[in-house]
Formats: sequence, structure tokens, C-alpha cells
Amino acid sequence: MKALRDPVVLLAAPAVLYLTLLYALPLGWLLAKSFSGPAGLTLQPYTEFFGDPFNWRVIGNTLGSALWVTVVCLAIGYPAGFALARAGTAMQIAMLVAIILPLSVGVVVKAFAWQIVLRRDGVVSQFLVALGIWDEPQRLLFTEAGLVLGAANIFLPFMILPIYSVVKLIDPRLSEAGATLGATPSYRFVRITFPLTLPGVVSGVAFVFSMSVSMYVIPSLLIGDRFQTLSTLTGRSFLFMRNEQLGSTTAVILLALAIAVVVASSWLARRLGSTE
Amino acid sequence: MIMAHSSFLDVSGAEKSFGAVTVLGGVDLRVAQGEFVSLLGPSGCGKTTLLRAVAGLLGLDRGTVKLDGEDITAKPPHRRDVGVVFQNYALFPHLTVAENVAFGLKARRRAAAETREAVTQFLELVHLSALADRSVRALSGGQQQRVAVARALAVRPKLLLLDEPFSALDRKLRETMQIDLRRLLRELGTTSVFVTHDQDEALTMSDRIAVMNRGAIEQFDAPEAIYRRPATAFALEFVGLSTMLAGTVTAQDGTTVAVDTAFGPLRAHGNFVPGAKVLLAVRPERIKVEPAGDFAFAARLRDAVFQGSKVQLHFEAAEGDRLMVETADLPHGVPAPGTELKLGWAVADTLIYPAPAS
Ligand SMILES: Nc1ncnc2c1ncn2[C@@H]1O[C@H](COP(=O)(O)OP(=O)(O)OP(=O)(O)O)[C@@H](O)[C@H]1O
Ligand SMILES: [Mg+2]
Repeated sequence: MKALRDPVVLLAAPAVLYLTLLYALPLGWLLAKSFSGPAGLTLQPYTEFFGDPFNWRVIGNTLGSALWVTVVCLAIGYPAGFALARAGTAMQIAMLVAIILPLSVGVVVKAFAWQIVLRRDGVVSQFLVALGIWDEPQRLLFTEAGLVLGAANIFLPFMILPIYSVVKLIDPRLSEAGATLGATPSYRFVRITFPLTLPGVVSGVAFVFSMSVSMYVIPSLLIGDRFQTLSTLTGRSFLFMRNEQLGSTTAVILLALAIAVVVASSWLARRLGSTE
Repeated sequence: MIMAHSSFLDVSGAEKSFGAVTVLGGVDLRVAQGEFVSLLGPSGCGKTTLLRAVAGLLGLDRGTVKLDGEDITAKPPHRRDVGVVFQNYALFPHLTVAENVAFGLKARRRAAAETREAVTQFLELVHLSALADRSVRALSGGQQQRVAVARALAVRPKLLLLDEPFSALDRKLRETMQIDLRRLLRELGTTSVFVTHDQDEALTMSDRIAVMNRGAIEQFDAPEAIYRRPATAFALEFVGLSTMLAGTVTAQDGTTVAVDTAFGPLRAHGNFVPGAKVLLAVRPERIKVEPAGDFAFAARLRDAVFQGSKVQLHFEAAEGDRLMVETADLPHGVPAPGTELKLGWAVADTLIYPAPAS
């Protein structure tokens, strides 16, 4: 009652209303649908789903591709976030524009662009042949490597930006203090800088993982029906197979997986951050 | 006082510019082993820059830094064995108090038992044993400052540099911490260079004070010598209270000059040609009221400020030049403003400097 009279709480009302109507209600419907059979409450859709080895492949595809995309984004995004935070003002603005501007291009457009880039005669293939890594041109399109490459490029800003924002907040004197205590540059990085960037790493991983575990357009365009993930399967169930039961079940499983990974990673980061 | 027979820290010809701005213009600083030296100077005079150059956190354009007989000019900070207490303390926010203190020992790969022992010992020395497992984020300013001191000292550095370590603390805490820190450093025999722009802090704590102005050391001497015989007008103004009188030399006789001022003719020991423009000053507590001194003159009292143990008297000459006197010895009580009083002092107490070319 007291909270209701607090005018600040009212500021959250539009968001609460919006999320309830457009997000919580459909989600509730999805959950209800996945647990309801002809004879009321049931676990049958789940036992059926997990009983089929094909579906295990789908789960493997989903987690595997998301994991690879996250790893590639982290490997590229971590140093990039650093470079961005430590660059001079003009350079920083230029780099931020280069990172943020592509976000205004739709995912569909970018995925189509990657179709061209990943073709047998695309730039990636030509480049690798020119370097002598490949003997002859090869097609990367419709391969898992191509999917990971394209998706990592599209999600990269969501890894760079949170890492950039934590690095920017780290007081450079901390590393200097470490130096005057006798710590080598690598020791300082491992014991001071890296632990302090962990919150940014966790946000970046959570963003990229939850986006790539649920991506739909990118795998559809870059790898096709051969490679089913939980979200393409959900889409097919609703759109082509008209199987709302299966679609709801896969959607709920996908949601549970994404939440589990995000919660686990933040728990892990807190553990890592507090020891030593 | 420790005499600098052989210098433990030897900075010579230190020069540093940022773009067109010269911040250090050829600084020499020699500190003996076990000595506590203060760098005293106004904001922006280059104290922090000099300290960072000694720590190796900043490269000099020219000049050398030697420590314990070894040229460390080109050495990176982690191989210099120079500890630093930073102005904002720079404690590691993700570590506990004990982990902060242990950091340097672990970085130097000391044995675990030795590390534990040193952490316990230094936390005890700064009275923080009870807070060992607290996060440093949950500490007060004074506690943070003591963690920073313990962290820097736990590795037993050859030299400790402190950059205004008390500036964020309130006055009362600052005074007890000054005494505690000084005692601790004396017990450990740690050679220290301490940056401050607070003259009282420098006077009470230091074996010697280096008065810095615009990237140069104007005087480097024991506190008492700096107070009694400031080498330059800047050192005089910066250390201790004083008022300055502008004057013109009228005659020179051996080691004494006569100077014409707003308060009349005064005398000082010095070597100036007649006609030279000079600045005169006398420490307020050296001036006697109604004296039997070397010379005396009458001056009109403008203001008297009662300060408990002493009274501050402000005199004003016709031209607006002022003279301040501090005395505890007023047999007839505090005189009323407007009273004419006789003032005098020993000629040796008159400080004289060439007037800056304007
Ligand atoms: N990295 C830098 N780039 C450009 N100018 C600098 C830099 N560091 C210091 N300066 C300039 O050098 C001068 C001296 O700075 P320094 O920090 O040594 O002063 P300080 O004596 O420590 O002053 P304070 O008492 O305010 O701390 C200042 O004018 C400052 O603006
Ligand atoms: Mg400073």
C-alpha cells in the first residue's frame, strides 16, 4: 500500500504494463500449453521430446553453435574492448561509431551479406587461398564454421560494449600500485585488471550467449534446414507443422537453457571475483 | 638531523616537460639512508611528477635517478624496490584488507609462511588486525590510508614515497596519523620522501624539507633552518607566517644595509648596492613590542587579534604596507586599535631578498 503511494513507483508502471501484456501473458500461455495434454496437466510433451535422439542433436546444435559464437566474440571482443577504452578521444569516437553503426543495419540484411562473403568465390575463401592456407576455393556457406563466423560478427558489439565500459572505469593507478609493489605486467593483468573486468565479461557473455542460443534468421540464411536448432525447430513447429504443443515445449526448453547458462555464468564470475 | 654524507637516493638534473610546459626544470635531490624528506610546494609545482619519476611510473626527459648506489633511471617500476602510497590510496577494490597487504609479497613469490607473518605484523603495526578480512570498500578514509601504508611497507622497500597521504582526512585524524606514521617509519628505518603542500605537516614530520616552486627546489634544509633563514622570498612566504615590506637600499656599510621602507629606515644583514629594490620580512614572533633592541620605531596599531596563548597585532603604515607581530608578552593587556606602539627586533632577524623584477 505504501509502495503504491510512492510516486516513483508509478514511473515503472508503463514498463510493467507493457511487459505484462506483451511478454508475461504470452509466456504464461506458452508454459501452460507445453504442460497441458488432452487429460489436463502432463509431462508427456517433454518425455516425448527427450525420448527422440534427433531432438538431442537439436539441443547439441543449439548449445554448440551458441558456445562457439560466444567464445569467438569473447576472444575478439575482450582485446577490442580494451583497445577502445584506452584509445585517444578521437580514435575512441571513430571506433565507437564503427561498432554501433552496424547495429542499425537489420539482421536479415547482414545475414544476406554474409551469404555472399561465405560463398566459394567469396572474400573469405579467396583470402585463405591467397594466404596459401587453402589449396583451392571452398564454400563456407551452409557450414557450421560459416554460421559461427557470421553470427559472431553480428553479435560482436554486444561483447565489446560491456567490456569497454568496465575497462574505462578501472583506475589506472591500481596497475601502477601493483607495479610499485613488485608485480610484473602479466601478474598485474591476471591479479588486478582481469578480475576487475569480470563483470563486463559476464554481461557480454550473457548477452551474446542468450542472443545466439535463440537466433533464428542467421542459421536459416547461413546454414539452412540441415542444421536444426531449438529456435528454428520452434519456428517450424508453429509455422509449417502447425504443432503448437511441440513449439511450446521447445520454446520452454530453450528458455530454461538460456536462463541456466546466464545464471551459472554470473554465479561463476562472482566466485572468481571473490577468491584471491 | 641526519647529514647526507653518502646519498641513498640521488636524483640529478631531472627534467620533464609535457608538450610545451616544463614541469621539472633540472631538479637535484639527495636523500640519506633512513631520512624523512618532505617535498613542500604549491599545487602544480611538480611534486607528484618528481615522485612518479622516482618510482619509475613516468620517464624523465633528462637526468638520472640512483638508489643505493645503483642507477635505476631505465628500470621499470616493478624492479625498483620503491614503494608508493598514492594520494587516493589506490587499494585493490576486489581484495580484502589482508589480501591487499599480501599483494606485493605474493607478487615477489615469497614463501607462504613468510607472507602470512608479514601481513600479520604490518596489520598490527597500523592497528588493523581486527579488519583483516574486511573488503577495503567497507573502510573509512583513515583506515584505507593505513592499509595503503601497510601494503607499501610489507615488502620492505628500499624507499617509500608518499603523495599527500593525509589530504583526504580531517584535521584531528590527520594529526594523530602524522605522529603514528612518523614513529612507524623511524622504527623501521625506512627512507621516505613525502609530498605535501601543508607547511605544518612538513615542519613537524621532516628531517629535511625541500621547498619546491615551479619545477625547481628553492631550498633544501632542516625545518628550523628553513623557518629561520628562508633562502628565497618564495620559501619565506610558503613556510610560516610573515608580512613583507618593499624597500629601497639607501646605504651599505660592511655586511649591513640600510633600507628605506613605509615604516621608516630599517637595517638588515646583506649585500646590496644602494638603490637596489628589496623585500624585507621579520617573523612575527621575533618582533618585540616596546623593546630595548637594536633599533625601534613607532607604528600605529590597526587591529589586535586575541588568540589565547598569544596576541596577533597588525600594524599599518601610511602607504598601506603591513607588519604583523605575534607576542605573548603584553604587560598592559591588549592595546586598543589606533594606539602608537614602539616595535623593534635584532638586525639579524631582518630577512632581506631582492625584489622580483616586475
Ligand atoms: N600527464 C600530464 N600531461 C600534461 N600535463 C601534466 C601531466 N601531469 C602533470 N601535468 C602538469 O604538470 C604540472 C605539475 O603537476 P604535478 O601533478 O606534478 O603537480 P603537484 O605539485 O603534484 O600538484 P598538486 O599539489 O596539485 O598535486 C601541472 O601543471 C600539471 O597540469
Ligand atoms: Mg600532486
